[in-house]
Amino acid sequence: MNLVVLQNWLNNVSFAVLFVTMLIYWGGTAFPRIPFLPILGTTGMVIANLCIATLLGARWLEAGYFPLSNLYESLFFLTWGITTIHLVAESMSRSRLVGAVTAPLAMGCTAFAALFLPAGMQSAEPLVPALKSNWLMMHVSVMMLSYATLMVGSLLAIAFLIVTRGQTIELRGSSVGTGGYREHSRLRRAVEPVAIASAIGSNGSGNTMVLNLETNQKSAISQVASLSPQRLNLAETLDNISYRIIGLGFPLLTIGIIAGGVWANEAWGSYWSWDPKETWALITWLVFAAYLHSRITKGWQGRRPAILATTGFVVVWICYLGVNLLGKGLHSYGWFL
Amino acid sequence: MKTINLFFQRFFKTEVLPLLANLQLAILLLLAIAVFSVTGTVIEQGKSLAFYQANYPEHPALFGFLTWNLISTLGLDHVYRTWWYLALLILLGATLGACTSTRQLPALTAARRWKFYDQPRQFEKLALSAELETGSLQSLAALLEKRRYRIFHERNFLYARKGLVGRVGPIVVHISMLLILLGAIWGAMTGFMALEDFPSGETFKISHIVEAGPWFRSQLPSNLLVRVNRFWIDYTPEGGIDQFYSDLSILDSQEHELKHKTIHVNDPLRYQGLTLYQTNWGIDAVQYQVNNSPILQGKMAPLKIGGKNRTWGTWVPTKPDSSEGVFLMAQDLQGTLRIYDASGKEVSTVRTGMSTEVNGVTLTIIKVVGKTGLQIKADPSISIVYTGFGLLMLGVVMSYVSHSQVWALQQEGHLYIGGKTNRAQVAFERELLDILDLLDQEPKEQISELSLTLSNEVVKRS
Ligand code: HEM
Repeated sequence: MNLVVLQNWLNNVSFAVLFVTMLIYWGGTAFPRIPFLPILGTTGMVIANLCIATLLGARWLEAGYFPLSNLYESLFFLTWGITTIHLVAESMSRSRLVGAVTAPLAMGCTAFAALFLPAGMQSAEPLVPALKSNWLMMHVSVMMLSYATLMVGSLLAIAFLIVTRGQTIELRGSSVGTGGYREHSRLRRAVEPVAIASAIGSNGSGNTMVLNLETNQKSAISQVASLSPQRLNLAETLDNISYRIIGLGFPLLTIGIIAGGVWANEAWGSYWSWDPKETWALITWLVFAAYLHSRITKGWQGRRPAILATTGFVVVWICYLGVNLLGKGLHSYGWFL
Repeated sequence: MKTINLFFQRFFKTEVLPLLANLQLAILLLLAIAVFSVTGTVIEQGKSLAFYQANYPEHPALFGFLTWNLISTLGLDHVYRTWWYLALLILLGATLGACTSTRQLPALTAARRWKFYDQPRQFEKLALSAELETGSLQSLAALLEKRRYRIFHERNFLYARKGLVGRVGPIVVHISMLLILLGAIWGAMTGFMALEDFPSGETFKISHIVEAGPWFRSQLPSNLLVRVNRFWIDYTPEGGIDQFYSDLSILDSQEHELKHKTIHVNDPLRYQGLTLYQTNWGIDAVQYQVNNSPILQGKMAPLKIGGKNRTWGTWVPTKPDSSEGVFLMAQDLQGTLRIYDASGKEVSTVRTGMSTEVNGVTLTIIKVVGKTGLQIKADPSISIVYTGFGLLMLGVVMSYVSHSQVWALQQEGHLYIGGKTNRAQVAFERELLDILDLLDQEPKEQISELSLTLSNEVVKRS
């Protein structure tokens, strides 16, 4: 098949699939009792992910270089990253809430690329000399992946804020590890019979938090009211997954920035030149470093780290798009001429 | 004197260090640096005073306060080089040092120390703990081993852990940040950067220094010359620029060649701590003949014309007394020039090696001479900074690992199991519940007897 036709087709299919997937996830969140919706949502995400991978692959074949030369390609690469990290976060948390926040983001990015960008900005363009480098591929692709990861992580922090609105909550999970202890408010010895067997590994789709109270009569543990594990609730799970995903995005951002620095030094002799895009990458990095540290600070417990992560979501977007709209500096692609 | 010294040492230890090692301060610093960095991306940096006076007038002030006066007083026209911005960075370095030495190294020692739990009540404080009537320490050890735990096993106690690197990671991160900050300071003091542009064939001494630290002299050899053997541009078939090349030689004062290399963008020449980068280009001159004159050379000057293409131009007299002439304009080195008459009207185009008739004379273009734009740089701190970069990447990856610990105690027919992790609560919960589940399915036995006949195997292996 003609590569260009294939690309156009995949472009539309990705958007349509993500749109439907978003509706499925929202439906699943609103009506948790409807079966199959979580599976359908995950399937939608996988299909979109593969479509976008094929789309980018076709571009690569057609243009002969890694497809990250313009906004259209970078938006699709970002969406590919978002859907990938979505799948990671969903399998980590087994919660359908993940898709309720990530699907609209993925859909929005493809909509912007496929529907709003003028045709002239969608076609592949030759690379300018400054961009012909393997460092560029390293730098830009890792940066894009880190944006995708940080966006998903901070969206989960937003979901956490929504779930816990009006509550005070104690965080679990941080580099110093304060989260491993029992809360006093919850009984040391669980009185209600809680089956371990039924609570784990059951439905791969979500509802991890709902302790299944019916099926555990035969369980050895439940018969004696003895010491049993205190499980994480929905809010705690969301918070921890958000922390883990941001914790994954942070090293990616670090490596991406360093790769950019090394590349800049090899190409024009300075690993840091305070170009606006560079500076915003540093700002993003600082905000998420502050987030990681806020989790281990006494005075910053509860919802405040998540608020910082929410700020981080805005900052990543400014770093990714806002700076280009300012239209200055090295990273407007083609500064050399 | 000695007592005063002692006093200051005491004061530093009890007052200054704890203050610096305060995490709240660290977070505030990180956010403050972020916020001040934003100003430098919103307000144009490094422009002339007149620019700020024109764009940030006193009346009406932007947002009611942002005037050129405020900008130049606070140094918002060069944020990243102001004393207060550098002070914030140095303060961050100080808290990093204080934090690493007073909190993290001790915390690492604490994390490496561990003990068996020998009382059932010790398990009660752990969120993930359970009391089983089935399973044994051996089967638990086997399950943990499969999950890559390191196991310590003695009588009826068991301790297992994995991911200790996750505790080392942040320390590596912080030390590497210190290295990078120190390296950057060292580089700013000793490095320099020069910009030179010369046409093919020219030999020059590095002299147009645009940035230099106070100690840069040691980095700039005084007897070194650079010769531009040739500069050219490769164009794509569509006429776009493919790559810029400069064929360069490094010469000693007697013009002996010390090094020779053709550089292009992304591939600089390095010689004794100096690096020469291809960063710019231009058109230096045009060589032409008028009728049968000898070959004349006109210097091309850059012209400011709207649009994104750069243009160079020169005035070519067509009468011996220079009373008449044409403008020659070129935009690239592909060989096409436009000819404009004195009134600015385009009259013709001509290619190199070709002739055209203007003002009643024959104008032959011999060649358009390009010039290369080189950036020459020395930064002796690069090796320090790169080491910091490498360690930082390693450190942040290590910091992702979650440090998980599991305890178990077999006593009076009960198997007590408990565990905790620092980062990945959800994954660890699943892992531990999985293990409990598998143990739960084992047949019920008199496990208290078994506990005394543990195999030594596991102990040896760990
Ligand atoms: C640019 C500066 C800094 C960076 C990039 C940085 C980075 C990090 C990272 C990635 C972690 C691991 C976080 C996690 O896994 O949740 C961490 C932990 C930590 N940081 Fe920093 N940090 C910086 C500055 C500071 C400063 C100034 C302090 C002290 C006041 C500090 C104190 C700590 C502490 C106490 C921990 C936890 C230690 C542990 O888990 O062993 N950090 N830092």
